[in-house]
Amino acid sequence: MRQIFYLVQKEFRQIFRDFSMVRILFVVPLIQIFILGNAITTDVKNIKIVFQDQDKTPYSREFISRFVHSEYFKIIGFEENYNRLSSYLDSGKASLAIVIPRHFQRDIVLKDKPDIQLLVDGVDGNSAGVSLGYITDIVQKYQERLIESSPDLSLQVKNVRRVETEPRFWFNPNLESKLYIVPGIIALILLIITLFLTSMGIVREKEIGTLEQLMVTPIRSYQLVIGKIIPFSILGMLEIMISMGFVYLIFGIGVKGSLPLLLFESSLFIISTLGLGIFISTISDTQQQALFIAWFFMIFSILLSGFFIPIANMPPVIQHITRLNPLRYYIVILREIYLKGTSFKDLIPETLAMATFGLCLFFAAVMRFRKKLG
Amino acid sequence: MQTDKAVSVSKLSRHFGKFIAVDEISFEVDKGEIFGFLGANGAGKTTAIKMLCGLLKPTSGEATVAGFSINSDTSKIKKNIGYMSQKFSLYDDLTVKENIEFYGGIYGLSREKISDKTDQLISELNLDKMKNSLTRSLPLGWKQRLALSTSLLHDPSIIFLDEPTGGVDPISRRNFWRIIYEIASRGKTVFVTTHYMDEAEYCNRVSIMHKGKIIELGTPTGLKQKYNKTTMQDIFISIIGQN
Ligand SMILES: Nc1ncnc2c1ncn2[C@@H]1O[C@H](COP(=O)(O)OP(=O)(O)OP(=O)(O)O)[C@@H](O)[C@H]1O
Ligand SMILES: [Mg+2]
Repeated sequence: MRQIFYLVQKEFRQIFRDFSMVRILFVVPLIQIFILGNAITTDVKNIKIVFQDQDKTPYSREFISRFVHSEYFKIIGFEENYNRLSSYLDSGKASLAIVIPRHFQRDIVLKDKPDIQLLVDGVDGNSAGVSLGYITDIVQKYQERLIESSPDLSLQVKNVRRVETEPRFWFNPNLESKLYIVPGIIALILLIITLFLTSMGIVREKEIGTLEQLMVTPIRSYQLVIGKIIPFSILGMLEIMISMGFVYLIFGIGVKGSLPLLLFESSLFIISTLGLGIFISTISDTQQQALFIAWFFMIFSILLSGFFIPIANMPPVIQHITRLNPLRYYIVILREIYLKGTSFKDLIPETLAMATFGLCLFFAAVMRFRKKLG
Repeated sequence: MQTDKAVSVSKLSRHFGKFIAVDEISFEVDKGEIFGFLGANGAGKTTAIKMLCGLLKPTSGEATVAGFSINSDTSKIKKNIGYMSQKFSLYDDLTVKENIEFYGGIYGLSREKISDKTDQLISELNLDKMKNSLTRSLPLGWKQRLALSTSLLHDPSIIFLDEPTGGVDPISRRNFWRIIYEIASRGKTVFVTTHYMDEAEYCNRVSIMHKGKIIELGTPTGLKQKYNKTTMQDIFISIIGQN
């Protein structure tokens, strides 16, 4: 037991010996949260739109005015020549063109089906999808108004027609992507810090020969592992709190749910990153190798976590592979606790999956570490 | 196998794939002896020492260190030996005092014992002014003496030194050997490898290793008579030349 104390004390002395470690602990999360939180955005605002109004009637003008008042759209102009519309999209001057056909008003009044034509720049499929959603919403509202104000419909019919979809995003009311992304960033920071520190920390001792020196002392390899894990877990926890502090200061986003639960889940997650770190240390002889391999694993777990690419968009085989990725579960758990205040009871499946894979990884890594030390 | 010897080795081998680094070596080291392990680069000295310290599993053969088998009792061996590796292996970014405290703690010394030992070592090594400096700032010769002292913190009966004086000036080497003599005079067994033939003269007995085999073993005086040479240097050259 006392051996572990001396190992932990030594580790902390080394970590805080020079200022660079402190800088990594504070500056890395600050920069990542600030830049990533602002840069990665799935919000679509100020969609540039060009109109062609072939009808030029009160009805068509009323329709267009609904876009004027929406913060999502920015009308850049009106184009009379249909053939020139595509040049707006090609040059990027507009990402959306709406054509209101002749007889728009007449069709509405005569209860014919009026059509409008949309030309959407589909290069950024995500934004295109989002803008279509906004348009559908506007069209629907417009339609409701028509129905309400239509004199020859009975009240009954009006009420029946009232059935409508009104999307209401409960835990992220304005679908602000920051809210969604920031917990993910915290997870990434935790992954990076603990993974890199553990693997590099062990390999460094291998490189300078102190690991060998430790192996001729009566110390047991499990003590050595614990002596490494305790300091890095504490640093990871510290890092989580620092990151949450920055998130609150920069974006004003606080934790909705239980903080102890969040820390508990985080410690389960750290088991897997420490395990991976130990594993990496057993397959690398130099710090450069460790850095390279840790980088490789980091990219994979981020890509397969659903953070950047929605898991539902992946090929089925890859989707199954993501189930082995503790980061996938941790990001979900963190978001749930952060945004919804979800209770532990509702997080049990994710927690179990994360803990199971984390512990398997950890014990496999520790076994390998012990075998390597001989 | 006899257990009154400090080290007793019988047909010990280590292969790395097809390569045979240590090839069926056998020898014994008496308690309290200074035993020199000579050989050119790549002869297999470090590999042999690592097996004796329990850092490396032998491919075949047997050896006992302090009476314990290297095949089955490495944890008992570890309590009884000190080891100073070819690489400097203290923490560069800890102070002199912190290094001593750490290794003392790892060897399970009590808190008072650690602080006593620290004071004792620091005054013995004349490191009073440097005790709170980072170990990296010490001159190499002092680092090596500090490493030697920390490997003796738990009072082992046998100490393995793998090229302890590599790369330092003659005066530091002489000082280092003074300490080795002092350690041996306390009844400890010193097992030391070196490249410097003048250092071989200081040993009670030397073995000369070549391509994984021990090709000569005896006292420096005995070997000089046998080969009719005046220095270990000449003996070494003539033996290696023959092979
Ligand atoms: N882990 C290993 N894998 C493969 N070959 C090894 C390994 N360790 C040592 N060797 C080889 O075994 C041989 C003996 O190495 P060893 O380090 O024991 O020599 P040495 O006598 O200590 O040399 P030096 O004086 O340079 O320290 C060398 O040729 C070396 O390349
Ligand atoms: Mg060597």
